[in-house]
Amino acid sequence: MSEALIRYEPVSDTPFVAEGVRISLAPPMQRHALRARNAEDLEGLLKVKIPRKIGASQGGIMCLGPDEWYFRNQAGATIPTGEGLPVAITDVSERSICLIIEGPRASEILMSGCPLDLGQFAVGRATRTMYETVEIIIMREAEDCFHVEVWRSFSAWLWIAMTTAARH
Amino acid sequence: MILIHCPYCDEKRPEIEFANAGQAHIARPFDPSGQSDADWEAYLFIRANPRGRHHERWRHVHGCGRFFNAVRDTVTDKFETTYKAGEPRR
Repeated sequence: MSEALIRYEPVSDTPFVAEGVRISLAPPMQRHALRARNAEDLEGLLKVKIPRKIGASQGGIMCLGPDEWYFRNQAGATIPTGEGLPVAITDVSERSICLIIEGPRASEILMSGCPLDLGQFAVGRATRTMYETVEIIIMREAEDCFHVEVWRSFSAWLWIAMTTAARH
Repeated sequence: MILIHCPYCDEKRPEIEFANAGQAHIARPFDPSGQSDADWEAYLFIRANPRGRHHERWRHVHGCGRFFNAVRDTVTDKFETTYKAGEPRR
């Protein structure tokens, strides 16, 4: 019997467009939480360079904490599980969705609820932070483009909050 | 909003990213069953609660996720310094 998997997104898949900003839902992707005391163990396993500085990102891998990384790649991609190594690799693909905020007002819209000074936030940086009361991960992809990772259950609220900010 | 210096991220971050986790430098006794009731009570419940300079544990919960220690003035709410967990008391 064939199974039709229907994807229900918690926010609209029609982009929201207002003056100077566009907010849209990113296509589904593979997300992994990587934990290891030594980044070398992950590098040996994944055969990629792991950024060491908290806030740095490289090749879709963001360093969130001294022993924590967040790895996003295309949907359906698989990575080794690291069995037998002192690492923890968890598939968290469906835990969060990604909103793309782009346009000249992108940082202004984010700063309506996020206390970080995004004017000082360099392109390529990524960090976990808050938007009002919701935990998010911000990545600056370009001068006027941010990716915001948010847990699914918070995303409907975040969508309303940010589109409301964008209307003003 | 208060900015708190996270010793792991090595930058000042807004206070809503942090959570207080009580008094710092309280070591769990190596042999709990060898403790008298009074000692065990002191370990579990008795805290300094000073007016002024106070050593506290904080956690950068909505950031790098790490616990660290801070010296904060309980009257002015000013952070004197923060340092990594495991480092000697300042």
